[in-house]
Amino acid sequence: MEKETRLQRIIFHLRREWQIYAMLLPTIIWFIVFLYKPMYGLQIAFKDYSIFRGVAASPWVGLEHFEHLFSNDQFIRAVWNTIKISALNLVFGFPAPIILALMFNEILHATYKKTAQTIVYLPHFISSVIIAGIVITAFSPSVGIVNTVLGWFGIDSIYFLTKPEWFRPIFVGTGIWQEAGFGSIVFLAAIAGVNPSLYESAVVDGANRWQMMWRITIPSILPTILIMLIIRIGNIMEVSFELIILLYQPATYETADVVNTFVYRQGLQSGRYDFAAAAGLFNAVVAFVLVMVANTLSRRYSRTSLW
Amino acid sequence: MMNWNLYSRGDKFFAIVVSILIGMFTVATLYPFIYIAAVSFSSGFAAQAGKVVLTPIDSTIEAYKYILVQPDFWISYRNTFIYTIGGTVMSLLFIIPGAYALSRPQLFGRRFFNLFIAFTMWFNAGIIPFYLNMRDLSLLDSMFGIILAFAVNAFNIILLRNFFEAIPQSFEEAARMDGANDFQVLWKVFIPLSKPAIATITLFCIVARWNGFFWAMVLLQSQEKIPLQVFLRHTLSNLSDDDEFAITQLEAAYSAETVTAAIIVCSIIPVLLVYPWIQKYFEKGILLGGVKE
Amino acid sequence: MSSVKLSQLVKKYGNLEVVKAIDLEVQPHEFVVLVGPSGCGKSTTLRMIAGLEEITGGSVSIEERVVNRVAPKDRDVAMVFQNYALYPHLNVAENIAFGLRIRKTPKAEVTTMVAEVAEILGLTDYLHRRPAELSGGQRQRVAMGRAIVRHPKVFLFDEPLSNLDAKLRSQMRAEIKRLHKRLEVTSIYVTHDQVEAMTLADRIVVMNDGIIEQVGTPMDLFLNPANTFVAGFIGSPPMNQLPARVGGTAEAPTAEIADQLLPLPPLPELAERIGAQVTVGIRPEHANVHKQGTNPIKVELELVETLGSEALLHTTLAEKPFIIKTETEGYYDMLHDVSSFTVNTDQVKVFDADTGRVFGQGAA
Ligand SMILES: Nc1ncnc2c1ncn2[C@@H]1O[C@H](COP(=O)(O)OP(=O)(O)O)[C@@H](O)[C@H]1O
Ligand SMILES: [Mg+2]
Repeated sequence: MEKETRLQRIIFHLRREWQIYAMLLPTIIWFIVFLYKPMYGLQIAFKDYSIFRGVAASPWVGLEHFEHLFSNDQFIRAVWNTIKISALNLVFGFPAPIILALMFNEILHATYKKTAQTIVYLPHFISSVIIAGIVITAFSPSVGIVNTVLGWFGIDSIYFLTKPEWFRPIFVGTGIWQEAGFGSIVFLAAIAGVNPSLYESAVVDGANRWQMMWRITIPSILPTILIMLIIRIGNIMEVSFELIILLYQPATYETADVVNTFVYRQGLQSGRYDFAAAAGLFNAVVAFVLVMVANTLSRRYSRTSLW
Repeated sequence: MMNWNLYSRGDKFFAIVVSILIGMFTVATLYPFIYIAAVSFSSGFAAQAGKVVLTPIDSTIEAYKYILVQPDFWISYRNTFIYTIGGTVMSLLFIIPGAYALSRPQLFGRRFFNLFIAFTMWFNAGIIPFYLNMRDLSLLDSMFGIILAFAVNAFNIILLRNFFEAIPQSFEEAARMDGANDFQVLWKVFIPLSKPAIATITLFCIVARWNGFFWAMVLLQSQEKIPLQVFLRHTLSNLSDDDEFAITQLEAAYSAETVTAAIIVCSIIPVLLVYPWIQKYFEKGILLGGVKE
Repeated sequence: MSSVKLSQLVKKYGNLEVVKAIDLEVQPHEFVVLVGPSGCGKSTTLRMIAGLEEITGGSVSIEERVVNRVAPKDRDVAMVFQNYALYPHLNVAENIAFGLRIRKTPKAEVTTMVAEVAEILGLTDYLHRRPAELSGGQRQRVAMGRAIVRHPKVFLFDEPLSNLDAKLRSQMRAEIKRLHKRLEVTSIYVTHDQVEAMTLADRIVVMNDGIIEQVGTPMDLFLNPANTFVAGFIGSPPMNQLPARVGGTAEAPTAEIADQLLPLPPLPELAERIGAQVTVGIRPEHANVHKQGTNPIKVELELVETLGSEALLHTTLAEKPFIIKTETEGYYDMLHDVSSFTVNTDQVKVFDADTGRVFGQGAA
């Protein structure tokens, strides 16, 4: 039996399988150029970056930007706002799709159910700009339906979008309106996976629908709920800042400004690239740590990791 | 299991309450769209007076006329189609072969490549380095730059890769014994077998492209390159900032609000048209019947 | 000339050796069945022949050409998979034509070839149906059609019938046999079902734990198992195996089973083993309860299982289960009174108690 060298094996493998490497190559190059190269560019967070010198040639300044960052009230406020908005999203936005899915599961009329589902999935597919347009129109002091209705009860018009105390409720409420329906899909899928004989034996045991929901459906989809919760916790730093940019204004920065909007203003609007990159890096690192912790938790408690 | 005739009184009551609640939520979801449509067809005066609730007041299509005669509106509309179609095609050109390669057990370094791609879901450099990178690549204010730079994301690749991995190996093996190479296996077997997954990803891509706004706003400067969403955003902020517009048009047949609403309607319509068409693929389990495990 | 030849063929997954240096020659037109318990390496062996699995060591030759490095498509073999692997998006005709189309066979030719195959398999009326609209047996036929249409040198089958119910399975078995008679293509067929192996094979290869235990015609394996594994695998029910001590003399050895004596054939190996432990094997069919011979062996009857023309008597002998298969015709009333059997001495097999190898078959 002839022994072949490692090199021969590799050549044989490539001759036989070159096509899959050819298929993979463009994707890998794309990731390097558009996602990994910017990671290299992150070093400007530790540099005095100048457009003319470029990333590599700009001089190092150590942690200077971070020192400025942590003594910057606006940044600290943005971090807190990020956490507060996420927390509200978690408390009100997380249960909504679960409740919706449980309710869909109780509906017998197939057409009614299908129609309702089709409609509530829809806002997920609408752009932030349009959502913002709808919100701005609906809450407008003169034309808005909200103030029109308040007017029926003798309440004066409120300039909702200029009032800091109204920003978070409106933002979180919009999020629920937009995403609760689509978010229910994953829970509906989990419910569909419950063994029907569990319900049949419960019927035989005389359970009613309410009891079945609590005793069978919810315990059965608990793993899914847990995983989705962990994902949410892992994504605390990822507030959908597109919508915030469209809805906030200087009057509401106090409650509306989050890290990413801060980065956007400092970096892209004021040109402080290095400083903004430092803020972005802070956000990315915290997010990364949270995702890692979340995955470890998920692996430990549900024996399912997210990847 | 669920049979109305076997329900107890309590169960029936529960089911009715739930149906009503679902109905309310559905109406609440739908209402803003109806409201916007109503505003768009109302006169500016009626809208300003806060009279519009459900149906158009003083029906008129003036707001649409105002929009539809603007060349910039049509240019941005055309651009959005270019970004959506070009971007989706570009995405599929990367994602489908990439996901196929990553799903092959014989790929050397498969774990590494998968990690290489998944890592970008957990850590990304953020807005500023991405922007500066685009500038270094001379892709600012470039339509092609927008199409290329957002073509791929880890989530879609992994989704399709998982779908490919779930296809029984014998499909590939049978094709291979019949003489198919990887390109043929992908094209003649995997893609037809993955229609639901590919339709889903296509939908994701189309929606993301149609709605994409932030980076288009940041990266594109030329008026003739911006997509509809950015045009919409410009119009929105111009209209609300432009007091003059509000005042001079107060008596007119359209107002800032009705024009806004009209643009929103024009932008949503294509989404509504595509939505049910691709939705049907979600449920079509095309993989049934060919395999018995 | 051999059609397929395996020489010292090895397959390892990491450190796990699942095929351990096996040798096999398959003659042209032969129908060879690889049989063995699940996980013994049958599929792996077949897949190495097909080219779907990389070969760790040794070689596979097809018509005297070593094909270790030849791509599956260039080996000119066709395979029928356990799950059929029919493309759900193609109809029957397109499924059968798939390989021809890939190989750029002219359209007109494809049509005639598909029609011809459909005719052979009785699929002519179903050519425009999708796999989802076919019954299990029809899908199975389409899978075979896809293999036949290419006129390959070798057919490979990997448990093609295991998804069918019992009745359909015996029907398809007959059909495969008929097809082989008609097409005479060399076939290698993998199954874990020894009945399938016995009915289909020209030669059976019994595998166990990555090695070949025995190769032979079905009757050969039935009558002359090379070891206790084959004896316990082939036949239904399989051969009874009893621990015993060799007694008597070199000319007339006996087996001492508890306190009973069973005459053994005078094998040379036994002469050297007087007083040693062996395993005695008796086929259920060879234990005769109707003929009163000398030295009947006493058993305790526990259960009579009637199968119609035959019955299985579940008995114990020296506290071990012992099954007797007997005809019922004319004897039915007395089956419940059976208390002993006789057996022809030359039908008693004796195996080495340690290695399990049979005595008296020379080097085999
Ligand atoms: N890809 C693989 N990696 C590791 N072990 C494998 C792989 N494929 C098969 N095996 C192992 O090889 C052995 C033989 O498998 P196989 O040839 O499929 O058995 P069978 O005789 O049932 O067809 C089994 O123990 C199986 O677990
Ligand atoms: Mg097998």
